[in-house]
Order: sequence, then structure tokens, then C-alpha cells
Amino acid sequence: MQKKSIFSRFLYSQKAAPYVFVLPFVLTFLIFFAYPVINTIMMSFQKVAGGEATFAGVSNYHTLMNPVFYKCLKNSAFYTVISCALMIPIPMVLAAMLNSKAMRAKGFFRSIMFIPALTSVVVAGVVFRLMFGELEGSFMNQVLAFFGQDPLVWLRKPVTVWITLFILCLWRWTGVNMMYYLSGLQQIPEDLYESADIDGANSLQKFRFITLPLLKPTTVYVLTISIFGGMAMFTESYLLFNGNKSPNNVGTTIVGYLYRMGMEQNNIGIGCAIGVVLLLIVMVINVIQLAFNGTFKKGE
Amino acid sequence: MAKKRSYISTVLLIFFFAVVALIMLLPLILLLVSSFRAGSDLMRYGLNFNIDWANAHIENYKLLFSGQNNYFVWYKNSLVITVAQLVLALFLSACVGYGFAMYDFRFKNLLFGCVLLVMMIPTEIIILPLYRLIINMNVMDSMWGIILPYMVVPMLIFFFRQYLSGIPKDFLDAARVDGCSEYGIFLRIMMPLMKPSFAAMGIYQGMQSWNNFLWPMIVMRSQNKITLPVGLQSLMSPYGNNYDILIAGSCFAIIPILILFACFQSYFIEGMTAGGVKG
Amino acid sequence: MKRKVISILLCMTMVTSMLIGCGKSAPADDSSKSDGGTEQSSDGMTQGKNTFVDGGTELSLWTFQELHVAFYTEMADLWNKENPDKPINLTVTTGESHSLHSKLLVACQAGEGTPDMADIEVGYYGAFLKDDYLLPLNDVVEPYEDEIVMSRVEMYGKDDNWYGIDFHLGASVCYYNMDIMNEAGVDPADIVTWDDYFKAGEQVLEKTGKPMCAVETADLFLPQMMLLEKGVQYVDDKGQPNIDTKEHAEAIEYIRKMIDAGICEVAPGGGFHMEEWYGHLNGGGVASLAMPLWYMGRFTDYCPDLKGKMGIYEIPVWNEGDTREVLQGGTGTSVIKYTEQEDLAKEFLAFAKLSEEGNKYEWDVLGFDPIRTSLWDDPEITNDPDNKFLQYFTTNPFDIIKKNGTDLTAPNISGGYSAAYSVLVTTTYVNAFEASPDEDAAELLKNEQASIIYE
Repeated sequence: MQKKSIFSRFLYSQKAAPYVFVLPFVLTFLIFFAYPVINTIMMSFQKVAGGEATFAGVSNYHTLMNPVFYKCLKNSAFYTVISCALMIPIPMVLAAMLNSKAMRAKGFFRSIMFIPALTSVVVAGVVFRLMFGELEGSFMNQVLAFFGQDPLVWLRKPVTVWITLFILCLWRWTGVNMMYYLSGLQQIPEDLYESADIDGANSLQKFRFITLPLLKPTTVYVLTISIFGGMAMFTESYLLFNGNKSPNNVGTTIVGYLYRMGMEQNNIGIGCAIGVVLLLIVMVINVIQLAFNGTFKKGE
Repeated sequence: MAKKRSYISTVLLIFFFAVVALIMLLPLILLLVSSFRAGSDLMRYGLNFNIDWANAHIENYKLLFSGQNNYFVWYKNSLVITVAQLVLALFLSACVGYGFAMYDFRFKNLLFGCVLLVMMIPTEIIILPLYRLIINMNVMDSMWGIILPYMVVPMLIFFFRQYLSGIPKDFLDAARVDGCSEYGIFLRIMMPLMKPSFAAMGIYQGMQSWNNFLWPMIVMRSQNKITLPVGLQSLMSPYGNNYDILIAGSCFAIIPILILFACFQSYFIEGMTAGGVKG
Repeated sequence: MKRKVISILLCMTMVTSMLIGCGKSAPADDSSKSDGGTEQSSDGMTQGKNTFVDGGTELSLWTFQELHVAFYTEMADLWNKENPDKPINLTVTTGESHSLHSKLLVACQAGEGTPDMADIEVGYYGAFLKDDYLLPLNDVVEPYEDEIVMSRVEMYGKDDNWYGIDFHLGASVCYYNMDIMNEAGVDPADIVTWDDYFKAGEQVLEKTGKPMCAVETADLFLPQMMLLEKGVQYVDDKGQPNIDTKEHAEAIEYIRKMIDAGICEVAPGGGFHMEEWYGHLNGGGVASLAMPLWYMGRFTDYCPDLKGKMGIYEIPVWNEGDTREVLQGGTGTSVIKYTEQEDLAKEFLAFAKLSEEGNKYEWDVLGFDPIRTSLWDDPEITNDPDNKFLQYFTTNPFDIIKKNGTDLTAPNISGGYSAAYSVLVTTTYVNAFEASPDEDAAELLKNEQASIIYE
């Protein structure tokens, strides 16, 4: 037994094993997460030009204090708030309706609602860009014409740009969020409803006093992913405007501005400063979120 | 009486969901119908249902399959990258998740905190330094540039750890008594046990990789190395009349997924919604 | 069971697509001898190579336009024929314009992974010029100096050095839809000044109900043309962005006046390269369009219905007697300073872009107005009955470029032009013509100037 080689001792060591198992994570975390994050913070205080980086104090942050960046911040915040306001109640009600005993062919409808989520955001962007085109014959303008309205220049006016973005968001994610709520509903014990029936509660009361409170964990989860998804939104806008160039920045988000500064105009320092601002926002949201719910702690 | 009321609500509910389902499918039907129209037609009259079926044709699809464009090069790139990333991410994340679930070790909580941290911070924040890193590592314009940073996926770690925590640890001790090495236990005993979670997570990760847009767009430069989503996007360029391929190509990009979905619905739904609720 | 089916399905799709992929296209990393990729390059092949020869020097080039691949590879073959002592093996890579320019910029900054040469669009050129990533081409351009329009070359330069060579002259002209003109009873040849143009526009509107022209909000061709006619640029002499000028405000006010009168519209889609616009143009929705001559290719590609109906005339000017031609748009091809084949890359570039052969190809295939003046008088070029561009239009574009000679105003694209351009096409013109048409133009430009980030 003592002759066991070091190698086989290592293979059987219960002490070493966990470190080997988590090693891939530690490596990728250090190289592809921690290092870039530190780099972002450092470069946000630098001017990078011609391969040379020089310390520039807070001048990048100073440059950021311009109306365009404020507009992008506002856009991201607005998108996040409204998409949360839409993407929680609508899927919840749909799930409750689909889950109702009177409903037939549940599986079929559930699948159909899910299909948009399978579509690549690029394909969705292409279709929506063309559907919301400004030609008289573009689909949405035909719909308007059907109701006797004049055609709209959808993607060049602020209000209609937002409508389009929210419709795209609703279209892609309603099915997925509904699925979260459906599985949440499945975990509500049936007898709660039965005893409510005995007490003579109507459907609305049952929804208000049983379904809603018991769906809270699901709601918290959906809210969390919606907030992060909203703050990081970029691709939808990039595709709808065929590049990172919405007219008058109506649809330019924080990440869009980061991309424009860092990748398109090669102002890496400013790009990184935007990254740091976004990082701070996300961290603040996380802290608030943890303080209120401790969702992620529960797994421990 | 009660029966009649429930009958009415059934009809109403089905009618309501039929309308919703129709709206959900509408953009895709529109895409399909338009793929039989000439691209120049679309440019002139817009994307709509006014299709003259007598003039409908499959020229767009013929063009797509003619090999005179990069479409299937992109398709192949996407498949290769998706499969490679899928295999790597599943295996490595399963390792890490297993480590977290089955062992106690120093820094465990700290490290798991890091997993959650990565999960909670959008990767868009670090694309600039990551991009420079990829250049310095000399993996620009190669599939490794896309795969390397996302080899280990926190979401998967979280899910696997969750899944494995339901398996009693006695299992391990029994295997140790039988003379299995720590890694043998993982490979020979645990991996088979984890099969159901591999299916769900495979679909989750597969969809992520297949539809990924921003990062591949940044890493890939050559037109014949880019992935399908990036390629389709590049067809919307003002430098060429590409609508024929764009529409037919978009259609053809989702059809295989729809077929897979039709066959394996439950896995898809489980995979795509994994992480929710149970956490 | 089901999982097995998944994997089988996946494998099958993969194998088939690989077969399709490999069967029809040359793999890119086949760095050994290649048999030339020119035959497919016009229809979307993206990495092109000339016919490689033994002992040839490897050169690489990036472009964002697929049509340029065939041009370069053909020129490389020609070069090898004429210079058997120093043959080149050229590899041309294309990519989507926006991301390719970004990547080139970052690669330049890192000093690694750059090609020997690259096509750089004017909108992005300033950024490369600013940080000295390009090599001066004076020594290879000078032999051609008397045969070409130098303002086209000088615009890609600073401090008496020239860094880029364009594909074309890029002379701005006015395209008129003759059906509409005849219906309205207007002869475009009579239009000389903007005020004439305005009056003709009113007549067109009255007789046909159609707008005379359109302005972009996502690009800058019409206002820039008006400014260049006045000799005003978007950047000052030191290269600092300067869009807040009196002349700029005047140009904006003039276009607004046309919009208010109904003779100018905001281009559907917001630009002259948008799908909505092409449909509108092809459907005869607008009477005229002022764009450079390279836009001819857009007509032949996207507006089949207008064949034989479009006339090309000189652009309107502010005062009678002004030169009725300015240079706009363009793509400067440059040698990147990290190249190891400086001399060869420069010589080849000048040969491809400035030689008679190169210019003939550019005109015949790409529809680019030649930068070489000798071609303007060559009847084989100017009256070629087989040329698709000459066939398409009712008038001959060479009449205009011959008439206006070689002393022409080109945009100053140095320094902050890229930064100014980015603001102009995302916010300035949207605000000016669409979002806040009532805001005072001078006030508006002051705010826009303030939002340009340039250092």
C-alpha cells in the first residue's frame, strides 16, 4: 500500500479533489472575469492613445457628463422599468388563465407561446425591422390602414421606437416568463384553492389572496432577470436600427454607448468609464435586491 | 348549470389563447410567406401578407443552396462553435458544480460567492478589456476567442450544484470503498446520474451559443469565419442587395430548431426556464 | 432514446452542412498554393486570392465591400504579369463595414494583427490619420501626379503627406427622373443655382405632386455638398471638429425652407442607402437626387424600373459661375505602418488604383468615375455602347467631369472628422430636419458641437 505513487495518491486524495474540480472555474474567473474587471476600472482612469496609456485622473468621467450619456442612461432605465412592468403581470395572468381547469389543449398553447424564445434575436430583429418599416406596405402600417390610420415612421420617432422595442420584448419573452409562472403555479397546493372554494371565494379573490402571494418567489426571480436583461440591453436596438445608430439616440442604451465609445471610436478610457458606471448601477441593484429578498442566499 | 358555465369559459379561454397564439406566430409566418417573394419586391412594397401566389417561387431557397454565398459556411461555423462550446461548458461546469455540491473545502463559500457574482454582472460591462485580452492571447478571429471566455458557465454550475445536492453523499463513500478514485466516481458514477440535467442544460447552453450575437461579432473578423447570426446581420448592409438570402436564410435558421423543439418540447422548456423558481 | 435521436440529428445536420460548406467554397486557411479565388468573388465569396506564384511576397488587405475583392485580386494578377521580378500573393479579407473598421482601429492601436493594406471609408479615416497608423504614399503617387485629380488624393493627407488612394473621383452630380421632369415641363439643363432648383421644385410639386428632392437624416450628403460649394468644412484648419458655422446654419435653413415648401422630403428610411429609400426612388417617388457619381451603381442594382429614365446633370450652386462639382464620399486605401513589405505594398497600391488598367476596371465593373483624367477623353470609355452605366442613363457623366476640370473641393477628413461625422449622422440632421425643425439652426448647431467627443 505504501508504494502507491504520488500520482495515484493524488487521484485518491479527498483533500485535493475539490480543488481540482473547481479549478476550471477559478482559472476562468481570474483570467476572464477578475482581470478584465480590474482592467476596466484601471483603464477608466487612463487615456489610451497610440498604444500608450497615461494616467488621466477623472477626466474620462468628466467627459461622460454629457447629454448623450444621460440620454442613454435614461433610455436604459426607462426600458428596464417598463419592460418589468409589462413582463411580470402579463405573463402571470396568462399563466393563471392557461392553468385554469376550464382550459383545454394546454400543452399545445404553451408550446406555441414558447416558440418566439427559440428564435434568434437576429432573426427577430430582421422581421421586426421590416414589419415596422415605414413603407405604406409594411405590415404594421397595413394594420394601421385597416383601422383607417395613416402610416407611421415607426423607427424614427421616439414614441413609436419605444412601442416597437416593447412589442419585440413582449413577443420574445412572454412565453418564457409564462413558463416560469406555470411552474410556480404547479407548486401551489391544490387544497388551498379547495378550502377557499368552501369559504365561498370567487376566482378573483382566489387569485388575489392565494395565487399572487404564493407566486412571490417566481416574481422575484423574473424581476431579477428582467432588471439585468434590461440594463444590459443592446442587441435588440442594434438590430432594429441596423447598427448602433438610432436616430437622435432614441434607442441607444448604456451598453450601446459603451460599444460606440470603446469599439467604434476607440476611446477605450471613456468606454471603460461607462463600464464602471454600469457596474456600480448593477451592484447597487444587487445590494437592494439582496437586502429585500436574499434570493440567492437561499440556495446555501 | 355549473357545467354549462365552465363550458362557456372553456370556449372563451380557447378563443383567447388562439388569438394570442396567432399573434405570437405572426412574425414567423410573415417571414415564411415572404421567403417565397423576390427580395426586390420586399424592398419596394414592404414586408406584408400581400403575396401573389401565382408568382411565388423558391428561387430564394435555390440561391441559398447554390453555394454562391457564405450562408452554409456560417451555418457550419455556428454548428461547430455551438457543439464545441456545449461539450466544454457542460463538462467543465458539471465538474465545478460537482465540486461545490459534494465536497467541503476552504474558500468554498468565497468561491461560490464568486460564481454568484459572475452570474449577477452582465458580461457587456467587460467587453472592452476582454476584447484586448483576446487580442493579446492571439485568438482573435478564431473560434477559441469566442469559446475560451465562456468555457465555464456560472448558470450551469449553479444548476448542477443544485441538482447534485439532492444526491446523498453516502453514494460517494460506497464507491470509495469499492476502490474508485475521486475522479472515477465523478466520471463513472455521477455523470450517468446527471444525464437528465445534461439534457436540460444542454438545450439551455445550446440555445445560448447558437443565438449568441455580440461577442462573436466582436471576435470574428473574416466573413467566412463568422457565425450565422452575425452573418445574417451583415446581410442587412447597405453595400449589397441581399434580401433574397436574408429572408430565406432567416427562415432556414429557425426551421431546424423548430423541428427539434417539436420533438423534444419538454426538454426545451425545462432547459430554457432552468434556474428559475427552484433556486 | 430521445437524447440519442437529438445527437443523431445534430450530427447529421453537422455533416451535411459541412459537406455543403466544403464542397462549394475554398477553405480560408488553405495557405498553400491556391488557384485564385477571383471567379467567385463577385457573388459573395469573401476571402479572395489572386493566382499565387512561387516566390511571391505575401500581402494582405482588408475591405468592407465584397465587390472590391475581385478588383484587387485581378489587379494582383495583372501586377504579377507586368512585374515578374517581384510577384505578390495577395489575400483579401472582407467583413461587415462597421465592425471591420472598429477592429482595424483596435488592431492598429495594439500594433498587432493588422493587414498590410486596408480600405478605410471617409467617415472613419480621420481616426486612423490622427494617430499616425498609416504610411505616406507620396513617392509612389508622384509619378502619376499629372495624370490624376490630385484633390482626391490630397484629401487623405496631412502636412503635405498623402496617405490614401481612392477608387474613384466621387464627383457629385444631380440625378433627375426625366419622366417627372417632362411631366412638370422642367428642363434640368436650365437649373444653375439653388434658387433655380427651388423654383423648378415648386413647378414639379404643382404639376406632379411629387417632391423635388430628399434629405438624409442618417447621413450627410446634401448639406455637405452645400457646404463644400461654399468652401466650408466640418473641421477647422487644425482638424478640430467645427460644425457650428454660419454657413452650416444657412445650409440647414435652406433645406428647411425647401421642406416647408414641400419640395424636399426627409428620405424614407432616413438615408440614401436604406431599403425604404430604394423602393421609393425606384417607384418614381422623388424627382431628383444629388449624389456622387459612384451612386450610379445603386441605380443599376436597385432601381431597374428607372432604366432609360434618369438624366445626369450638374449640381445646383449658390452663385452663377461657381464650380458645379464637388467631391464627396469615398474610400481611401492605405498601407498600415506595421507592414513588413512597405515598398511593395505601396507600389502595388498605386498601380491598382492609379494605373490605366485599374481605372478602366473600376469604371467598367464598379461604375466608379475615374480619377485618371486620360480616361475622360478616351472614346472607348466614354462612348462604350456595352457599358451598363452609360446604357442606363440618358446623359453622359463624362461631359460633367470634363467640363469642371480638376480644381475641385474635397471634404477635409482629418482629425476630428470621424467624431463630427458620428454626431452629424446620429443627432444633428435628425434634429435639424425631423425632431426639432423649429429650433433656431445656429442654436441647434451650438448644442450639437458641444456633444462631439474628440480629444
